[in-house]
Amino acid sequence: MSLSIVEIFAVAAALCAVLMAGSLHVKRNIFFYMVQTVLLAVVTAEIARTDGELNLYLIAVAIAILKGGCVPIFLRWMVKRLQSYSDPGMMLAPPLAMHASLLLFALSYLELGSLGALPGSALAASAAASLLLTGLILMLTRKTALSQIIGFLVIENGIYLFAVTQTSGMPLLVEMGVMLDVLVAVMVAGLIVFRIQQSFEHIDVTQLAELRD
Amino acid sequence: MTNLVMLAALPILMAVLGLTAFRLPFFRQLIAFCAWWQILFEAYIFRPLWMGRESISFFEGLAADKTGAMFALLSAIVIAAALTHACIFFDNEKPQEDLSDSKRVGVFYASSSLFLLAMTLLCICDNIGYMWICLETTTLVSAPLVSYSRNKQALEATWKYLIICSVGIAFALLGTVLIFASSQHSFEHGTLQLSELIKNAASLDYPLLRLGFIFCFLGYGTKAGIFPIHSWLPDAHSEAPAPASAMLSGALLNCALLAIWRLVQVVEASGHSDLALKLPLVLGTTTVAAASLFLVKQNGVKRMWAYSSIENVGLMLTAIGLGSAPLFFLQALNHSLAKVALFLLAGNIVQTFGTKKLSELRGLLTATPPWGLLLIASAFAVTGAPPFGSFISEWYMLSLSLEKHLWPVFAVLIASLSITFIAVFYHIAACLWGTPAPTQASIRISVQSSFIPAILILACLIVGVSPISKCIIQFF
Repeated sequence: MSLSIVEIFAVAAALCAVLMAGSLHVKRNIFFYMVQTVLLAVVTAEIARTDGELNLYLIAVAIAILKGGCVPIFLRWMVKRLQSYSDPGMMLAPPLAMHASLLLFALSYLELGSLGALPGSALAASAAASLLLTGLILMLTRKTALSQIIGFLVIENGIYLFAVTQTSGMPLLVEMGVMLDVLVAVMVAGLIVFRIQQSFEHIDVTQLAELRD
Repeated sequence: MTNLVMLAALPILMAVLGLTAFRLPFFRQLIAFCAWWQILFEAYIFRPLWMGRESISFFEGLAADKTGAMFALLSAIVIAAALTHACIFFDNEKPQEDLSDSKRVGVFYASSSLFLLAMTLLCICDNIGYMWICLETTTLVSAPLVSYSRNKQALEATWKYLIICSVGIAFALLGTVLIFASSQHSFEHGTLQLSELIKNAASLDYPLLRLGFIFCFLGYGTKAGIFPIHSWLPDAHSEAPAPASAMLSGALLNCALLAIWRLVQVVEASGHSDLALKLPLVLGTTTVAAASLFLVKQNGVKRMWAYSSIENVGLMLTAIGLGSAPLFFLQALNHSLAKVALFLLAGNIVQTFGTKKLSELRGLLTATPPWGLLLIASAFAVTGAPPFGSFISEWYMLSLSLEKHLWPVFAVLIASLSITFIAVFYHIAACLWGTPAPTQASIRISVQSSFIPAILILACLIVGVSPISKCIIQFF
């Protein structure tokens, strides 16, 4: 079985997410997120090279700089300001969460392989699906607001990988708009997290349970 | 292109005013004034549609059709009404010592203006990718509205709103990608253009389209607050300041449903109206039923109206499921008018009596007769009692479900609407009559504070008794 460069990098990105599920250390998770995003930028650039699409090069550069550079820097700055270096975790212990996300990777490979309706490669699609599911696992098994933001970003990466490998590339304006929205979302969520820290003196979102019927 | 600039100019101006001119004494009145002008601008820009043109194009991927234009106008009316009332609302707000108040109010006005801009653009989207971007933008710019009071409850509500809606909408993005992928068989590069998708719907790859539609439905449904995924809605609506609750409930929910309606059209055009109509029909009636049961046990004024919004979302979704765009708009119009009035009134009451709990509010009719009377009228309007507008739309909806032999839908709707009516009036009656607490007995209220709610209720009444609703139905 010979793998194309796109597939190798897509799977590597998915494995980064699996490693994130296995670690409660926030800074390490941000590092893995950065590596994963840069890998996605490489995937984009490789697709741009084979398809000869100029727009995709632009998107690759934007991803590497904005999502792979600015977002991790902003998140690291938040970690420092909030003094929230590790996450207590909940429900699944990290090793279990890691195995669960590996299992989901395998499952999505089997599932999407048999679907067969997708025009792109099944391996890249399953890497994307596994990124998405691992992002969900991250959001479900983490307690602090910061880790939840990271989980959301992993989900978004999964959707992006799916879009870039399974379609011939979304229009440039749409892709840029989506990226801008994600950046603003991280900023807004960051602001709210600072406010939460100010009034609650912690950022454990599972303890935000005052409002109910 | 000029039209697009004209459409966006005033909201952008309002946002800039809010961020820079918040020290001026009349900046709130100025922004509210601009908001009313925005309605006129929109009515003017959309004039070819009133004359009978099918659609006007603004820019690649941005084109207004009749439904979009009507919803854009409705959003502008809701925002203008809420912002005008906000001028009085913020005067009566208790000063908070920790932060510069005027700047916060400025940010509030700026976010509402951007909120208006995002919703207007959403209504004229002809591209499902832009539609997604606009809807996610509405979440981001309305988060500061929810967190305005910055206390613990407001922050909790904002966090839930931001995270639940963003994750929900992320799934809608996946759905959008899938629909894009489904169009690659018939288009060389695929298309996101709604009009193209509808025109060539039959050649779309159905399994991918189906998957994409379901993801989008759930994603946008989260934003609209359909039943199993509504948990953020009562929190956000009850903790936001009253004008913001009015905007979220009166404008945002409609826009999320409009996004769903657009995708329903694509799937319907592909010849699978079974899926396209059944999904909204089933989830719509479930939402109506669930919300009416939630309404039975409520203890917060604004939470109660939030659940009533969920019920109305269910009704609008049912109208979509019945395949009727005019009924969808009519229900949205009536709900928006009545619900904005209710939230603004609830804001007045919460401000004056200092409590959100239904059990602590007594004797509103003797303490504040104008608000009491308006509350009765708007509660009638929102529960669909005659002679108000929602009676007509709900009546049409019920008769349409009978016409299509959808007996279960008819039965569930009738039962839920009755439960809602009884539950809402049971809660309200306790607040209206009885003896007010001694501190609450002699309260002086300003005339202006009942001005906007009274006008909205009047509008709702006019829709109910005049032939306007017939005109609207024929217009589509």
